[in-house]
Amino acid sequence: MPSKSEIDLLSLAELHWHKMGQASLSGSLLELFRKLDARFQDFAKKYKPEEYFFPPFISASQMAKLDYFKSFPHLLTIPVTLDEEKDNLLEFAGAPLREDGSLQLGKVQAVKEVLTPAACYHFYDELEGSKFTSCKFFTTRCVCYRREKQYLPLQRQWAFSMREFVCIGSLEEVQNYLAEFEAALAVYFKEMEFPVNFEFATDPFFNPSANPKYLLQKLEPVKKEMIYDGKLSIGSLNFHRNFFGETFSLSHNDTPAYSACVAFGLERWIYMILNERGLDSNKWRI
Amino acid sequence: MKSEAEFRSELRKWIVNKNGKIKAEDLKDDTAIIEQRIISSLQLMDLILELEKLSEEALDVEQLKPGVFKNIDSICHNFYKGESNA
Repeated sequence: MPSKSEIDLLSLAELHWHKMGQASLSGSLLELFRKLDARFQDFAKKYKPEEYFFPPFISASQMAKLDYFKSFPHLLTIPVTLDEEKDNLLEFAGAPLREDGSLQLGKVQAVKEVLTPAACYHFYDELEGSKFTSCKFFTTRCVCYRREKQYLPLQRQWAFSMREFVCIGSLEEVQNYLAEFEAALAVYFKEMEFPVNFEFATDPFFNPSANPKYLLQKLEPVKKEMIYDGKLSIGSLNFHRNFFGETFSLSHNDTPAYSACVAFGLERWIYMILNERGLDSNKWRI
Repeated sequence: MKSEAEFRSELRKWIVNKNGKIKAEDLKDDTAIIEQRIISSLQLMDLILELEKLSEEALDVEQLKPGVFKNIDSICHNFYKGESNA
């Protein structure tokens, strides 16, 4: 039995839900998407973050440096291309689809990229080897891809939009950044009367009991989620220590840089607005 | 049973050796060993084994609370059981 909000969401003409876990938006919902993204950027305007546009693929070898494949193999989405051999292409073109709708791929080329599962990874890849002498702020919005067992419109999607704000600097600068961001968000949630609490969380590790990184996150929490209505994470504040600094040779005044990011899930925010403000777009105060 | 000073000293020596870069004099009792990544996630597992050795007691990982490995002070507070009267 679907929940009330699901029924309402699926009745919206401006939301087209694709059951493979993706949503198309148009009209007032697309406008809400853009206004929310502008609101997030407003939260961070005092830092004047430098904005980047990133492509959807990220190098597998860079992701391997993060132990991503060991920690989150279940979330991965991998772009695949066909082997260029003429007979292979002819065979595929002759019978591309099986009866169940899946592609009959035949021989495929070596895979060296993955679809990005989070927006901020691109920065560490892009900025690898940088030597900073002052605290730096960056932002981007990406479509991110995370394979899940099941999907729900706007709440749990295979492909979803994430706006991130990254800070790279000293330990103190990065910790102050997170504290300031959290304080500003807490004021905002209160003013808007959105029932959102900050809660420590761990990332969804594969086989967590066998992964020391999970234990470390549990014992020294570095991730705080913005939990809407006690159940849905609409964003998070993440302290990376100097992990990315060491892994990607990012330095701040000649020592491995510390970093942090604040992430907002656009579709989940839309879900919250619809739930809190109703379906009349005139009442979507954000 | 070790004295607290011996416990601290052996713990400090272990962390310095494991890290390989930090000097013993720079590792204070309140130096944040996880936050500053003096101890990595992999080394944390070894630290748990080392603490079992030092405290002569098996640790139940599931029962460990956030913050117990923050620094040498918090480790002593949580894992040093005091000198035995036996």
